[in-house]
Amino acid sequence: MRRIASGGVSGFIVRRLLLGVLVLFLVSVVVFAATQALPGDPALAILGRSATPQSLAALRRQLHLDQPVLSQYWSWIAGLLHGNLGKSLAAQEPVTTLLGPKLVNSGVLVLISAVVSIPLSIAIGSWAALKREKIFDQTSSSLLLVLAALPEFVVAVVLVILFATTVFRGFLPAISSIPPGSRPWNNWVALVLPTITLVIAVAPYVARIMRASMIEVLESDYVEMARLKGLPERTVLVRHALPNALGPVFQVIALNLAYLAGGIIVVEYVFNYAGIGSAIQEAVINHDLPVVQALAMLIAAVYVVLNLLADVATILVTPRLRTRL
Amino acid sequence: MTDVSRRQLFAGAAGLVVAGGLASACGTSSSPSATSTTGGAAGTPKRGGNFRLGVTGGGSKDIMDGQNIITKPDQARLVSAFETLLLFNENYQLTNDGLAESVTQDSPTHYTIRLRKGIEFQNGKTMTADDVIYSFQRIGTKKFGLTGYAATATMDIAGMKKLDQYTVGLPLLSADSTIPQTLASYTFCMVPVGYQGYPHPQIGTGAYKLKSFTPGQQSIHERNPNYWRTGEPYFDTVTIIDFSDSTAQVNALLGGQIDAMTDLPPSQVKVVQARGMGALVSKTGGWLPICMAIDLPPFDDVRVRQAMRLLVDRPGMLEQVASGYGFIGNDLYAPFDPGYDHTLPQRTQDIAGAKALLKAAGKSSLSVDLHTTDGAAGMVETATVFANQASAAGVKINVINDPNFYGNQYLKLAFSIDFWGTRSYLNQVQQGSLPNSPYNETHWPPKSGTGSNFESLYTQALASTDAATRIQIEHEMQQIEYNNGGYIIPFFGGLIDGYAANVKGLKPSKGTLNLDSFGHGFRTIWFS
Repeated sequence: MRRIASGGVSGFIVRRLLLGVLVLFLVSVVVFAATQALPGDPALAILGRSATPQSLAALRRQLHLDQPVLSQYWSWIAGLLHGNLGKSLAAQEPVTTLLGPKLVNSGVLVLISAVVSIPLSIAIGSWAALKREKIFDQTSSSLLLVLAALPEFVVAVVLVILFATTVFRGFLPAISSIPPGSRPWNNWVALVLPTITLVIAVAPYVARIMRASMIEVLESDYVEMARLKGLPERTVLVRHALPNALGPVFQVIALNLAYLAGGIIVVEYVFNYAGIGSAIQEAVINHDLPVVQALAMLIAAVYVVLNLLADVATILVTPRLRTRL
Repeated sequence: MTDVSRRQLFAGAAGLVVAGGLASACGTSSSPSATSTTGGAAGTPKRGGNFRLGVTGGGSKDIMDGQNIITKPDQARLVSAFETLLLFNENYQLTNDGLAESVTQDSPTHYTIRLRKGIEFQNGKTMTADDVIYSFQRIGTKKFGLTGYAATATMDIAGMKKLDQYTVGLPLLSADSTIPQTLASYTFCMVPVGYQGYPHPQIGTGAYKLKSFTPGQQSIHERNPNYWRTGEPYFDTVTIIDFSDSTAQVNALLGGQIDAMTDLPPSQVKVVQARGMGALVSKTGGWLPICMAIDLPPFDDVRVRQAMRLLVDRPGMLEQVASGYGFIGNDLYAPFDPGYDHTLPQRTQDIAGAKALLKAAGKSSLSVDLHTTDGAAGMVETATVFANQASAAGVKINVINDPNFYGNQYLKLAFSIDFWGTRSYLNQVQQGSLPNSPYNETHWPPKSGTGSNFESLYTQALASTDAATRIQIEHEMQQIEYNNGGYIIPFFGGLIDGYAANVKGLKPSKGTLNLDSFGHGFRTIWFS
């Protein structure tokens, strides 16, 4: 039994990792096809108004457009595997140098938002389930519904009006510029408003799922059994109800975090935050192919990894699933 | 492997750079009601402070170069550290307040440049004739792809002579009376011998010296204590910060995180003013022409072109596209040039007249595609508003908004929208209205018939050393364009910039650059 369980989980992880690699491979084919291999000449699309025969030829060489499609794909994917993401056409420097600090900035923002929003939404959801149909449940439910309906940029703009420009003017910075060379954690005041925005974007969904899941668990036979056994309510909740209620919630958390990796674009835009969100936007406008490709792959990888983590976490808190592997 | 230069790349990709400078986007401009409140006369200048400027339009393609720009923040960086031989004042008139004491035309094909003595570069080296010659050579080297290259076509740069330590002779390949205007264009700056663009050291004669620079984010500039103009500049440091969006920019201004911003949206003028902050409204000569190619149907018939020009409701267009910030046009460019012909009657909307012309041309039920793109603010709106106005005469205009406008089809289209900034008349003709112009959307001038002498008139005007004669020739050229040309120029826009209440010294300017040429390179403005 023990052997199957542990072997099962690690075997599962290995299988999922292999699947993840397959997914990423397929994504890479799609990304490559969409950006580089489509009919038409990417070099001409990139150069536009100022294209000269010389500059076109030079750009085609730089993007390997003068080679057959398969070998173009191969040189791109081989570079990718070696951590060589190519050279940004806009900045004329390696994509890794360009994106490195931005990746750190965005990563910190997503991480802080996750660390704040996950416990908060689990707590709100659980508490609402415990106090079902009471005042707390009713107010939090309607409030969360309203917040969930608001797009991030509306939340961000309202927060800026409230805390930066109008109501409490100057209380918090209206923009969150991280000066080059410094790190987000050295500018924590600047992180407050973007973090709150992201928390508001994510927490309502997680809290609502948590509430529903908790209610279901609290009505289950084993919780009733535990209560009948005379276990303290605290033990019933923490040891029996919570782990079982968390299973479906992990999936939602993973989806929301993955969404953050992409959805952070809007928030970075509003707060002028130097992260990958603004990098994506700029790379698309600039037709900066190597950067677009790198970011598309990166976001796909984030999705794959988060989904894997969510599945593993779900299995770890659900013995039934663990044994079935 | 030859890398494509960033300028080549982005001039095309963003559709933003027109040789000779960034055109001022015309969506943002000035209104009679929102006259600016400036601190021009408010007290004596004070030293100190860190001036933080928020600029949109930048990105990882940002550069710093004394003779080149790609993005708008590049302009601000350039004027902070580098200076030109001559200057345009706020009325876009030439002055010799720059690095040269005088620039004189000795003959149609020779100029003499006399430098102001004792001006030092930021590293303490005195500026001499050698630096000037190097600066011209650098701009005139085609492979560097610098902004001013096109304007050096008439200069015999290889033949430049150092007459003495502070005097340079500039011979021309062909007569060109626009040399002084060229020498005052903001990218025609003087750099020391051996100069190269960032990441090489940025040493100019300007008021601020580059301290740090991260493309796409910000650059910091320190006061040049050795600056040659007495007393200036006033700030200790200048920080130029990139913004991707004007919403964040306005928020930062209102929240006190920046002291000034470029391109305040017209809708935000009242918001900013209500907070006691300033909106600097400058009526620049930026324009968004509706371009008809005179050799492509249906516009190869002059009557159709004339009819289209009568279809425009100019005040309506100015109101709808630029929120009224600007002034109406008369299908002629370069309104601030002394040679601009103000005597030609102002065109107004005349639907009946247009219908009659179209009927005579056999095009009563004309239907035509108008191509546009988001290349500059207002380009799409201009097309849409014009299509709407033209429908009054039964003309059907299909607006095609093509993101790849500046890719394949630009300059080959019969009917399109483009954008331009302020220029003198002859400089503009050279850029857009001659057979060999880089951006000739209308395929002007005609190969035969009325107007076929346009290019020879241009050559005569360039060769004329007498202003009165030149203006007379320019009037003749404008007369032809007014009657037969392919441009519809509904209005000239402007620039609106925002600044905090404690920023003093800004004045509205007719120049190309934002914020009174960025407070004349951040040297004529100060904190109260």
